[in-house]
Amino acid sequence: MAKGYQAVTVADIVRRAGIARNTFYENFSSKEACFLAAQDYAAEEALRRVVEAAAEIESWQGRVLAGLTAFLAAVAEEPELARICFVEAHSAGDAAKQRYEESLQAFFPLFKVGRKVSPHGEQLPETLEETIVGGVYWIIARRIVEGKTEELESLRGELAEFILTPYVGAKAAKRAAS
Amino acid sequence: MTGIVIFPLAADRPADTSIEHAPDYPPELSRLPPGRHGLPREFVVHNQRERLIAGLAEAVAENGYASTTIAHITRHAAVSRRTFYEHFDSKDACFVAAYDTVMDELRERVGGAFEAEKDWSRSIKAGIAAMLAFLAAEPNLARLCMVEALVAGPVVVERYDAAIQSLVPYFEEGRKGRSREVLARLSPTTEEALVGGMVSLISRRIFAGRTAELESLLPDLVEFALTPYLGSAEAAKVARES
Repeated sequence: MAKGYQAVTVADIVRRAGIARNTFYENFSSKEACFLAAQDYAAEEALRRVVEAAAEIESWQGRVLAGLTAFLAAVAEEPELARICFVEAHSAGDAAKQRYEESLQAFFPLFKVGRKVSPHGEQLPETLEETIVGGVYWIIARRIVEGKTEELESLRGELAEFILTPYVGAKAAKRAAS
Repeated sequence: MTGIVIFPLAADRPADTSIEHAPDYPPELSRLPPGRHGLPREFVVHNQRERLIAGLAEAVAENGYASTTIAHITRHAAVSRRTFYEHFDSKDACFVAAYDTVMDELRERVGGAFEAEKDWSRSIKAGIAAMLAFLAAEPNLARLCMVEALVAGPVVVERYDAAIQSLVPYFEEGRKGRSREVLARLSPTTEEALVGGMVSLISRRIFAGRTAELESLLPDLVEFALTPYLGSAEAAKVARES
């Protein structure tokens, strides 16, 4: 994906994968189908890891921190796959954008639980979860573009505070994130 | 040409000093009559370029960047293919010119609105309001700079990233004069995450065809942006005052 989705050809893919062109077409009907399959795989795998990491934890703040840690680790382990999901998805057509949208939306209900924990949960902006997830995604996308995905795991504290602050206030967010 | 008749950005002010002293042309002349019209050559040339940029914005809004052809652009701009190539080498070059023009205008409006307020939290609110108002009033240009820019190749994507990052200093000003306690709870990435979160929401609304709703997001975005600095209660207060 170093050259970007638009410029990549099926020939590039089969060369990098070390498989025959025929084999590619036995599995995928097109470059786009292959791209979408990669997005689906990555999103499913990341979400599975988030849910697994958060499962045993009682407090919502604790679940956010554990889930975020697992998510950042997944990105850092597979930077090329992450590039597909966070960067190239914007330029790979409407179906890819739709999947990007779904991958954002998957987090909304997990964060919305924070409204019940928050002392002012009912007054929080309706779009809060959208801006929070968008902000986290932007930080991740920037690190991918700059080739600094290894930095991401060290940002987990800051990002957890960023997520938690609107719900529980800065002080409690800092405590929960450390 | 449907929608915008003249490139709206040019309608507000002369973008090029060479036409500053030209008489005010009635709006119908934005679509130049064929044949000899007696307009100064610089005006015609300048006008053609702006029409091509407006034509590109319309064509891209209609077809998406990837499927837009030079024929689409020249049809919307009502100029010849030859005229297109007098101004731009390629569709990409035309897009870059359009992107830069839109972003210059957006930057100027946001910066102007921000500077016009004395109090930082009101400056932030005014800057966000100016951005939303511009994008809502120009849905084609909104789509061009917030959605299609990401499809238009590495040159534009790099500028898009830089444009978003250029909003960070407006927020960093909010650190000035804060107590040690407040500064301790802000992190090095606070501003980057705030800007990214706001842009993400705005571009997702544009992609979903909900550009007309953008201005209603103002209180939410202001509260979101100010909370790390002021706390929820104070941020909500500023967000909701008229």
